[in-house]
Amino acid sequence: MQRIGLVLLSVPGYSETFFRSKIKGLQENGFEVVLFVLYPPKTLENLPCEVVVSPQFNSGFFSKSVLIFKALLQVLFVSYFRSKKLYSLDRKDGKGIKACFKNLIFNQFIISKQLDWLHFGFGTVAVGKENLAKAMGAKMAVSFRGFDLYLSPLKRNDYYKILFQKDVQYHVLSQEMKQDLITNGIKDNRVLVITPAINTTFFKSSAVSKKRDTLKILTVARLHWKKGLEYSLEAMALLKKKDIDFEYTIIGIGEELERLRFAAYQLDVSDYINFVGKQSPEAVRQYMQSSDVYLQYSIQEGFCNAVLEAQAMGLLCVVSNAEGLAENVKDGETGFVIPKRKPSLLANTIEKLLYLTNDQKTSMQEAAINRVKEHFNLKKQEGEFLDFYRN
Amino acid sequence: MKKPLRIAIYSGEIPSTTFIERLIDGVSKSNVEVLLFGNIKHNVKYDGKVKTYGYFNNKISKLWSLIKYSCLLFFFKPKDKKRLDYFLREHHKQGLASKAKFYPVLWHTPDVFHVQWAKGIKDWIWVRDFGMKLVLSLRGAHINYSPIADLELAKMYKNHFPQVDGFHAVSHAIAKETAKYGAALDKIKVVYSGLPKLESSSYIQSKSKQAALETSADNELQILSVGRSHWKKGYTYALDACKLLKQAGFKFKYTIIGATNDMELLYQVKDLELQNEVCLLDKQTFSAVKDYMLHADVLLLPSVEEGIANVVLEAMALGTLVLSTTCGGMDEVIVDTKNGFLVPIRDSKAIANAINTIATLTLEQKGEIIERAKKKILAQHNEDSMTSGMIDLYHQVLN
Repeated sequence: MQRIGLVLLSVPGYSETFFRSKIKGLQENGFEVVLFVLYPPKTLENLPCEVVVSPQFNSGFFSKSVLIFKALLQVLFVSYFRSKKLYSLDRKDGKGIKACFKNLIFNQFIISKQLDWLHFGFGTVAVGKENLAKAMGAKMAVSFRGFDLYLSPLKRNDYYKILFQKDVQYHVLSQEMKQDLITNGIKDNRVLVITPAINTTFFKSSAVSKKRDTLKILTVARLHWKKGLEYSLEAMALLKKKDIDFEYTIIGIGEELERLRFAAYQLDVSDYINFVGKQSPEAVRQYMQSSDVYLQYSIQEGFCNAVLEAQAMGLLCVVSNAEGLAENVKDGETGFVIPKRKPSLLANTIEKLLYLTNDQKTSMQEAAINRVKEHFNLKKQEGEFLDFYRN
Repeated sequence: MKKPLRIAIYSGEIPSTTFIERLIDGVSKSNVEVLLFGNIKHNVKYDGKVKTYGYFNNKISKLWSLIKYSCLLFFFKPKDKKRLDYFLREHHKQGLASKAKFYPVLWHTPDVFHVQWAKGIKDWIWVRDFGMKLVLSLRGAHINYSPIADLELAKMYKNHFPQVDGFHAVSHAIAKETAKYGAALDKIKVVYSGLPKLESSSYIQSKSKQAALETSADNELQILSVGRSHWKKGYTYALDACKLLKQAGFKFKYTIIGATNDMELLYQVKDLELQNEVCLLDKQTFSAVKDYMLHADVLLLPSVEEGIANVVLEAMALGTLVLSTTCGGMDEVIVDTKNGFLVPIRDSKAIANAINTIATLTLEQKGEIIERAKKKILAQHNEDSMTSGMIDLYHQVLN
């Protein structure tokens, strides 16, 4: 039986289905999973696996001293040889004595565990821990999910320089991400693309016919700049100018609500836009059922589950060409992929949907439904993860 | 001798932002006593008649202030203290922090209590019950977009604006916007912000002909924006415009001061392959910013919202061509093609086109625009007018 240690920032919440279903799938296939998290959960999250929370070294002076003392005892009496190895590997990478010592202390909650794999759930979590798996005698895996590959390194030069020199098995969400890793000097056979998957029995198209005058457009997204919602709103203003009768609903919460509401106001489309906040999966499905077009005009996107869900529900999808989206939707076959940051092009594309014949719409919807069912189902993803660890 | 007016200029922090400090400085030199309340970030030495009754941001300082003013009010103004305590209880603000904030104002009772930020108006409505007049400044985001996104805030404004004795608007545009929340137009006085004399005299002359020729002789047009990284600054539109310029083969360099480390902008620069054309810089000192302005061919304000941007006023005073969006009250300063250039908000194409136009101006045309811009600033945005305008407003509410 293989034992996998999964390292994340925090315990995945109830709605974060990806990690939960991944853990469940691995366990069902005889793997044992231990979850390491850097921050304690804010609410009690029931997970069917062992959860190890990192000691919080940012606490007050006294408790910090106690934690460091405990970690030192562990270095001396529990993980002496592994700690020694981690220290010397870190030194070889050119880290200073203080940094190596800190790394030893911070990683004691992981280092003594017996694992076959140490898998970092995001690239950012692996930074600084590049030698940990080797010191533990485990194989190292890293998942890149989008922002960690494209955004996190922007502020720091050579952010992944050390990581990319190590013997790591990478999991990415799209072929484009794989190519970007290869550009960074990673060997082809070290990168496996496992796309996200959705529950295709939950998200499936209903036979309800949608005959109405108002075009109902939907986006499910965190209200964050990378989702390109300001460009989407500009496209809506252009649709309004073209006298197209539409209604645009945005599901999601986030820091950009003020920006987006103000943009809608200035663009004079406030009456056409509904910000409905966070919704349950059942409610999201309901919104999808009553919409005609799904829009994901992101600036940066790893892959996007919501677009898979919308395709599975038989919505006509219009997406940008941001990273994984161009693989998520097959342009012209299962939806439309258009260049990002071009609101007039987006408005024209949405307008074009109005002129599609019923046959054209149906064949596109069917193609999307079938493709999602076949390529993006949970069973297939589960099998791919099993192969990832077995090979 | 007539007793001087006692005006509290309240922003919550001492010292406050540059433009509020300018207001304090100007008013305090005009036979008016300025009272400052709130949180003292660090001690400031003022030239005029300014009295500070704040506290430092620590428990001991706040506690001392609370004990001192509680005692003074208890022994010398017990009825007033009782009334205020009743008001605080009614509004669920009986905590010690609230008392530490309000008691000094009740004890000193200025003639006018001038609140600088609209979002805080709810806390100060009570001053009217104690004979003080309440004045509110109407500035940027607090009026222009926050109440649009936050309907509770809009409701609060509608409840309280009718009770305010007088409003100071930084532009006619913002005055018009405020009327939507129940502010009577006859209570609003537009007082434009003023640049200090230093800038309007010595600096205004400082852009020598040589500097003007230097910037024009460069092959690439130097475009500059100054301001913190915030969505309202509209930098994303400016960067989209840069992409259009680059595609058209236009040679330029665009510098944004104050926007370094903004992930959205960093990504956009990389995404649009503008690394060689765009430079994101850290916040700079005032004098360094002036230096950048003097060497720029054009100061770009791509904002989607502003009151009247000070950075534009400063650039115009220094003799740098300005290209701004029509956001907020910018068209009250700039007349398109006469003393600067205006483009619609949220329009990258228009920004790119305007930059192209600016690049084709002759030296003579540029000189004329710059001269008219300087005159406009001298006439409309000098510190004396700002000070006298504010004092007029104070007299107006007191009469």
